[in-house]
Amino acid sequence: MALSQSATAISTMNRPGVSPAVPKPNSITINGFRITTQKLPILKANPIEEMTKKLGITPPEMIFGDNYVKIEYEKGGWGIAFSAFDALDRVDKTGESMLKVAYSKEWQKSREKTHDGIKEVVKPFDWSYTTDYQGTLHPAAQPFTPSEKPIPVELLKRPDPILFFDDVILYEDELADNGIAMFSCKVRAMPGRLLLLARFFMRLDNVLFRIRDTRVYIDFQTREVIREYQSQECDYEKVRQTLVGTRDDAPAVMRDPNRLSTILPVVEKRLESVTLGDQS
Amino acid sequence: MRKNGLTDRFFPGVTCRAIAQLRACRLIPEAQVRELCHKARELLIEEGNVVSVDAPVTICGDIHGQFHDLMELFRVGGDVPDTNYLFMGDFVDRGFYSLESFLLLLCLKVRYPDRITLIRGNHESRQITTVYGFYDECIRKYGSANVWRYCCEVFDYLALGALVLGASSALEPTSGTTTTTTTTTMATTTMIDDSELEIEVLNSKGDVTMSSHRPRRQHPSSDASTDSRNNNNNNNNNNNNIGAAPYRSGVPGTGASGDGGGSIGGSRTGAVLCVHGGLSPLIDTVDKIRLIDRKQEVPHEGAMCDLLWSDPDEIEGWGLSPRGAGFLFGGDIVKHFNYKNDLSLIARAHQLVMEGYKEMFDSGIVTVWSAPNYCYRCGNVAAGDYARSNGILGSNDPAADSSAVLSPGRRYRVFEAAAQDTRGMPAKKPVADYFL
Repeated sequence: MALSQSATAISTMNRPGVSPAVPKPNSITINGFRITTQKLPILKANPIEEMTKKLGITPPEMIFGDNYVKIEYEKGGWGIAFSAFDALDRVDKTGESMLKVAYSKEWQKSREKTHDGIKEVVKPFDWSYTTDYQGTLHPAAQPFTPSEKPIPVELLKRPDPILFFDDVILYEDELADNGIAMFSCKVRAMPGRLLLLARFFMRLDNVLFRIRDTRVYIDFQTREVIREYQSQECDYEKVRQTLVGTRDDAPAVMRDPNRLSTILPVVEKRLESVTLGDQS
Repeated sequence: MRKNGLTDRFFPGVTCRAIAQLRACRLIPEAQVRELCHKARELLIEEGNVVSVDAPVTICGDIHGQFHDLMELFRVGGDVPDTNYLFMGDFVDRGFYSLESFLLLLCLKVRYPDRITLIRGNHESRQITTVYGFYDECIRKYGSANVWRYCCEVFDYLALGALVLGASSALEPTSGTTTTTTTTTMATTTMIDDSELEIEVLNSKGDVTMSSHRPRRQHPSSDASTDSRNNNNNNNNNNNNIGAAPYRSGVPGTGASGDGGGSIGGSRTGAVLCVHGGLSPLIDTVDKIRLIDRKQEVPHEGAMCDLLWSDPDEIEGWGLSPRGAGFLFGGDIVKHFNYKNDLSLIARAHQLVMEGYKEMFDSGIVTVWSAPNYCYRCGNVAAGDYARSNGILGSNDPAADSSAVLSPGRRYRVFEAAAQDTRGMPAKKPVADYFL
């Protein structure tokens, strides 16, 4: 986890003059846990150029570089934040894990005959913007340790009043009309607990589906924080076949990460937790 | 004769009524759509692959079914036929009102064929529209795929590009009676006075928010500009020694910046080539575009595909997209192409730019975007009046005596998304849900 970078990213989020009318971030504090979100328009050309230089790759088409979600525990110097820059900084920049669009073979073949001498890919990188970003921890944060204890889903299913809710998009790319890649972050706080879901969703048409979820659960009473990371992936065709047999509207399901997350096989899952001390 | 026959039969009642209805964002009956598409095809089949358009014209980028923003564009830029418009494709998909937007543009085309030009974007395709919303919208609003089919047949006849033929070379001052239009990233080509104004950016109220002037240099017939002339002629004689000719401009250290953008970027004719995506390695002259057999679905490869799909990038020469299909082209390619074809500028759309327009390669190419607050979420999130802007581009000939930068005079009008309340869009505030 790029700690040093995270700190800069978070601090620059609030830099003045980024956008003409910077609204006050949304915020709530419950039992010493402060949740803050900020939503602004996509970046303009200059900040994009700056980011391109820092990242070393072309950022996604829609880059909400000023957006963030942040959870801090006021008493202990613990905090976790989600920002576009840090998420993108974990995208493969070497081109090792590059995907190809569905019609790539056909296209390449036709090209061979006609355009000799055209350079290969100039700046290879994972243009699907797949990231395993699980948030940026405060530099002084108590570290997570591996755990077996799952997030208490039953407690989260209770219709407790939602005191704070936000849905913040960090970046999105249309993959040049070959699908979608999107990283967004939802958070809801109830009187006793909160849940944050940071989701990377990618559909490469006729090739692949990918979901990478990071869930952060916090119990405000026990101050226990559980972080769950789960990666799901499946061939496009397999998913299509699965849906053919059902009554579902296949194209609609294939656009809906919530529905897809119930279908795609899990390829990786990790649990970790930390109980925050009361250092006041 | 063709136009008269067509319009006489068609527009007196029906088209005018249809226009009025569509302007109110109400759909016309399926039978009328069929008729309209038929008429449009008759009209479009007569157009070449590259349509010639006289300046002044307001050039607009992607619309993507954002009907209310299209209306805002007309409000700010002036109505058809008072303002001459050129739309660079991607009328449909993604937004909620692709049908209303495209049918209105088509009606206007049929009614005022000489005042509005439509060229094809990569979304004007059967395959893409089935994935990105237009097909679903047709099914939802008309109950069958018929209307989608009629529209796709029209797509196949849309021109692939347009050549805006020069006015003079500088912009008239805004205060004048110039027909400047502002849309999201559109530009107008207006006659240039003897003024030195080169670029002007206006907001939707018509206030100038930025302007730049040509640096005055005192040797009008100086080396660079003269050279570019001559080179041009040579080049027309097929002396296309790639790389050599275009780079002759700019004495190092002069305003004709490092890589020679100065003189190459522009020609005196002021012609502006408009395409949706960009250039193709198979196309080195505008005339080669004219040879394409365009009346088909957008193919997956070849010149026609490239014109609708490729992107400029900060590279040298041609590059392959990391996605495994599609080309990227660098500044040297643009300069050479402009030089060889006596163009002052390439205007294209296809890529989202927050500011509504973005110039690259010493103003040899500009990206114009006309769908503010794209997908209803890119801008305008909280502040209320901060939208992704569209631009229009107005091009003029480079001033004859201008020096370093020979790009055409152009005026960008930047506009914001239509007011929330006219849009019927879901509220911005997310609805709390018990996600897990």
